[in-house]
Amino acid sequence: MHDQTDAADIMMGDVVRLEDVLSRDSVTSVCKSFFSLFGLPVRVITHEGDLLADVHRDQPLCNYLNTLDAGERECAKTVGVVRDLEPELQTIVHPCFTGAVYRIVPLEYQGRPIGRFIVGPYVPAETTQPPASLLSVDAAIDSAAACGHFETMPRVREHIAKEISDHLKGVLELLLFSGHRAQLASTMQVASVRENYRELAEKNEALESSLDELKQLDQLKSTFLATVSHELRSPLTSIIGYTEMLESGAAGALSDGQAEFLGTIRSKADQLLGLISSLLDLGRLEAKSLDLKHESVDAHALLSDLAATIVPTANRRNVALDVQVGEQTPKLWGDPVRLSQILLNLADNAVKFSDEGGTVTIRAERGDIDAAGASGLGAALFSASRPAVVLTIEDGGMGIAEQNLSKIFDAFYQVDAGTTRVHGGAGLGLSIVKQLVDGHEGKIEVTSTPGEGTTFVVTLPAADDDA
Amino acid sequence: MQIDFAAKELTVKLVYYGPALSGKTSNLRAIHWLGTSSACGELMTLETQNDRTLFFDMLPITVSSGTGLKVRLKLFTVPGQVMHNATRRLVLQGTDGVAFIADSQRSEADANRESFLNLKRNLQENKIDPDGIPIIIQFNKRDMSSIRTDEELELIAQRSKEPIYKAVATRGYGVMQTLRGLIRDTWAKLEDDHQLEEKFGISPIRFMTEVEAKLKHDPGPRER
Repeated sequence: MHDQTDAADIMMGDVVRLEDVLSRDSVTSVCKSFFSLFGLPVRVITHEGDLLADVHRDQPLCNYLNTLDAGERECAKTVGVVRDLEPELQTIVHPCFTGAVYRIVPLEYQGRPIGRFIVGPYVPAETTQPPASLLSVDAAIDSAAACGHFETMPRVREHIAKEISDHLKGVLELLLFSGHRAQLASTMQVASVRENYRELAEKNEALESSLDELKQLDQLKSTFLATVSHELRSPLTSIIGYTEMLESGAAGALSDGQAEFLGTIRSKADQLLGLISSLLDLGRLEAKSLDLKHESVDAHALLSDLAATIVPTANRRNVALDVQVGEQTPKLWGDPVRLSQILLNLADNAVKFSDEGGTVTIRAERGDIDAAGASGLGAALFSASRPAVVLTIEDGGMGIAEQNLSKIFDAFYQVDAGTTRVHGGAGLGLSIVKQLVDGHEGKIEVTSTPGEGTTFVVTLPAADDDA
Repeated sequence: MQIDFAAKELTVKLVYYGPALSGKTSNLRAIHWLGTSSACGELMTLETQNDRTLFFDMLPITVSSGTGLKVRLKLFTVPGQVMHNATRRLVLQGTDGVAFIADSQRSEADANRESFLNLKRNLQENKIDPDGIPIIIQFNKRDMSSIRTDEELELIAQRSKEPIYKAVATRGYGVMQTLRGLIRDTWAKLEDDHQLEEKFGISPIRFMTEVEAKLKHDPGPRER
């Protein structure tokens, strides 16, 4: 026998025990209603023999018989037999020595016996006289008293008793069906949630494992990049060094042709060194191993240096430079070398992608940087906005299509593969810029209109002493 | 299958599977309507407000054999909607046979295929060999337009491992034939696996005769 309904039975849609699907209160309530309507005692018993509901009123005849030794014995015997009777399919009408009867009705559900109910004792209305078995049950019985009590017993015609028992059976089976339905629904609900959870947990585990694998591969990639870059840089430094020595005439005078070829070798070697340095920077930034200094950096000086560096390239491309520094611009808080690298990269791009005759504007001004965003949730809990320097680099070049804007900070991404051939570069610059800006706890934003130009806005924290 | 030797009782689980809205619940409703009240119990449906199956439908059929063996057939449907896969897998646990209810409409061919693959996956997840369990296929909704023709179904049946049945479940056409086919194939498999004739003294032929007698109210194919 099961202690409780187990999963296998639920999956078979079976009811194991009556009390699993019928509450004692609701069954008792139905039996009370039955009793008040028909005046007939009723008891509901589970297949296992537990009493689920018992609604009756003590009968004077039974009370009287229980005062007699033999009467009490016979009563107990009859009640015991009635209680243990379990009809398989058909109702059993069991007689009592008092002339009353008990009607025992089986409760069956989905082809299985699940319990029974007992209606009685009652006297069939067809019985008018107490039987001899009542009057002879005990030597001490008072016949007049027994007959008097017999008259007070509940009475009902047998065909009526059958009809009302069938009705009660129908009501109880309906309750059983509803209770079973509710039980299955709630069990399935819980089982489905568990099954969904198990499925999701398995998928999450697989995803986490993939993520770990990808992280390892990413780490391998970074290490590989760093190692290869380092190994490439050493011989390249020698190539550049010896080229410079040859150019300086350390190995004898050079013909014009030789000098031109050496110039090309140097220029290409410098380009290669720049790329390798970028790869090394990226590797360090990704590995978070690039140490950034933090000191006050003057925006005027930063932009002047930048302008001096970029002017030759701008002149070659016939692009005008407009450098503006606002009066209230505070000092920046960061690594001067890396801040220059950020600006140089953006300005170099702006010049590179400007049309001939165009203008590149580089502007520094006072601004704010907000830790929680303009109206971020819980902004009150975060530090208030702090003073910042807003650096704007604006060009009037070809611009970037909106769908590409979100990708331009990815390493090795080129908006158009053709730009590599025309303008050079490996698509590392903006990725490094983004990581450097992040490293300074700043932010970088880009807006662009194809055909009209692109604007990069870098917001970096101002130095405290200048705030 | 559950066997209770003491009570001489067998409980066999049969699952109606298939894509959403292919007519699984309609099959059970028709069986409930056509079957005899002495064999079919109450049809239990666990559905949402818009009549879509939420967990399952269940129809119990009890066949008390003259040999004293009582066979309880529990017919279940699964929810067809894709999102209820966990429930489908649960309902499929311990199944002895599957009726796959396919939608005959040409537009539903992909949904049929997807659902059948889902059935195979879920059987495997429940450690049930899809090649070992009896599966029959019913092409339902034969009264709709733009359906696969009878000739096409003939060709499909010739190369299909699973027996093919045709039905209009909402009108009761073909549902009893499908059910009898499912019971016959399932019983044959259970006989092979558990030697029921030896244990309970009932041959597959006698069992099917008794099932037919119990479900005799099938009016048979109706004119369209």
